[in-house]
Amino acid sequence: MSRAYQPRTVAQAIEDAASATKNGYRFVDESSDAEPFFSHGGIERASARYGGALQALGLKKGDRVALILPDNADFVFAFLGAVRAGIIPVPIYPPTGLGKLAGYLDNTLHIVERSGAKILLTSTEIKLMLGTIAAKAPALQKVVAVEPVRTSKEELKPAKVALDDVCFLQFTSGSTSRPKGVTLTHANLAANVRSIMELGLGVRDSVDSGVSWLPLYHDMGLIGFVIAPVYHRNTITFLPPLLFLKRPARWLDAISRHRGTISFGPNFAYALCVKRIKEQELAGLDLSSWRVAGCGAEPIRAENLRAFADKFAPVGFDPKAFVCCYGMAESTLAISFSKLGTGVNVDTVEGDKLWSAHKAVPAPESSERAAPIVQCGSAFPDHDIQVFAPDDEEGKTPLGDREVGEIRLRGPSVMQGYYGETELSQKAFAGGWLRTGDLGYLANGMVHICGRSKEVIIVNGRNYYPQDLEWEAGGVHGVRKGNVIAFGTMKPTGDRERVVLVFETMVTGDDALHKLKGEVRTAVQQGIGLTIDDVVAVKVGVLPKTSSGKLQRGKARELYETGDLYVRSSARDLDRLDTVKELAKSQLGYFRTALFGSKNED
Amino acid sequence: MQFTRETVRTEVLALLKGHAQAGSTVQESSHLVGDLGIDSLGVMELIADIEDKFKLSIPDDALRDVDTVDSVVRAIVSRLEKAGRLEG
Repeated sequence: MSRAYQPRTVAQAIEDAASATKNGYRFVDESSDAEPFFSHGGIERASARYGGALQALGLKKGDRVALILPDNADFVFAFLGAVRAGIIPVPIYPPTGLGKLAGYLDNTLHIVERSGAKILLTSTEIKLMLGTIAAKAPALQKVVAVEPVRTSKEELKPAKVALDDVCFLQFTSGSTSRPKGVTLTHANLAANVRSIMELGLGVRDSVDSGVSWLPLYHDMGLIGFVIAPVYHRNTITFLPPLLFLKRPARWLDAISRHRGTISFGPNFAYALCVKRIKEQELAGLDLSSWRVAGCGAEPIRAENLRAFADKFAPVGFDPKAFVCCYGMAESTLAISFSKLGTGVNVDTVEGDKLWSAHKAVPAPESSERAAPIVQCGSAFPDHDIQVFAPDDEEGKTPLGDREVGEIRLRGPSVMQGYYGETELSQKAFAGGWLRTGDLGYLANGMVHICGRSKEVIIVNGRNYYPQDLEWEAGGVHGVRKGNVIAFGTMKPTGDRERVVLVFETMVTGDDALHKLKGEVRTAVQQGIGLTIDDVVAVKVGVLPKTSSGKLQRGKARELYETGDLYVRSSARDLDRLDTVKELAKSQLGYFRTALFGSKNED
Repeated sequence: MQFTRETVRTEVLALLKGHAQAGSTVQESSHLVGDLGIDSLGVMELIADIEDKFKLSIPDDALRDVDTVDSVVRAIVSRLEKAGRLEG
């Protein structure tokens, strides 16, 4: 850190780290206690073999290769190997899930087509499931099984990789749109890795040790725990994501055993530990080494983190270890982090003024309308964050301190655009600023996020965030928590925005449903002070979701406006089997929307 | 630990009562997601409970064969049988 900062490509960083023989990546696997370990030297050699094998398949610098690799070690070596060869990896989430694959295949095909991938590298088992995908994507020449690649003896032919070259494509699925490929260069990655590791977390080269169960096809797991640690020669212990979801205690156990100092998770991961880890599983845990407990990728609820700290303080967890993070794939990964060592900082504001006056007015915690907003720190050096009125297309007039608007960002971490999507790329920017689509405010330069702007419901000039309505409704007994969608609609009358809340339920019978709807209305009224115009109860599986299990608010509004929401509901009655198949979830779905969207878990 | 088909069935039904949504009735034909309202995280929790109860290891790919209560029972029975821990 004392040396002047010199940006390096990811390829260069892999080679530079190769001299480190004590630190590297450890892969925990559920079926064995072996925990194979690869030093950074070993990672350099393994990635060279995978990269050489990809070159032997005919891939050249600039070509895209799609990766669907459920095994963490395969993924890491294939990804880094491709990057060293100048081949552009396109990570895609693997299928798991109960039942039908149609939605998964549809999404995968879309990503393969848009990226123009020539080769898709996957496991033999998934290759069988992908069926005829190669026939449908014109540019895709071959689906290749990874198993023979593991033992490949092909040498990596040197490729010149420059900072301005594209490093990889990060496909993100929005709640209303098809996945878009965020184009990230080596320069983007170098800038964001520096922001995260040096400026944000004060990472000590070769000393800090990370633990991660995060999926590697998602930015937080991939950039935070595969790419960044190569730059700083850290040791990382990887767990399979499904193992964490099955047994959350394994996450904390890995931190404890390997003296982990840095680990990240979305809000729901901390809540899951509180809910699922049993008293007897606490015995033997020692979390005192954990100095950075990052929380990001979904809205942060201070009460969830507080509950985690309360439960795990007796085994050495330090609440000051919490780092609240704001980020998005379009900004490589991180946008801002709360200051190291300060824990969760909450700004308590007048909730109604947030909506009515677009101002964050400090309020005492005891105030009836107090809204706790988690602070996510300030912009990293070389980056700017400003707040603008959402309709300020030029980005000329930033709003003042504590004024609520759209958060916008510029700096070296910001993407070039979406791959092959000129129009969408243009729309992502306003006067050189990346439009995050998130509503929030700055207070003394510190970022505070309130919600997603596109989905805000405006009633009589006041803004309401659908997540808040959904959260209140989700607490009502009988409502399927996490399967609630709120939106505003100008239909059918067109005179004002009407508030609609749709929830899934197992409850049947007119009287019981009538009662339940009343309870939902009351809960929202009491919690937020908003009267819902229409409460709709639907059966399980009716709410529209992306194939990754993310709620689609925009789609729900469309279905409601056309009357198809009711049709969907009754159609499902006729064919229960079909309902069940529609519910097929991908591995991504197992993270609920938690990792990828704005739905909250508890 | 030895089990019979009948004890597996009884234990699974008992386990599921703790996971099913309020307002649902657990039957052998019930679909975990469609009828019992168990979501994806809930399915993972259920699998952990099954592994503990029956001292089995259920690999992730087994999820693809499981949809109804009956299919859960069958998946457990076949694994117990392979392990020589099924009576009758």
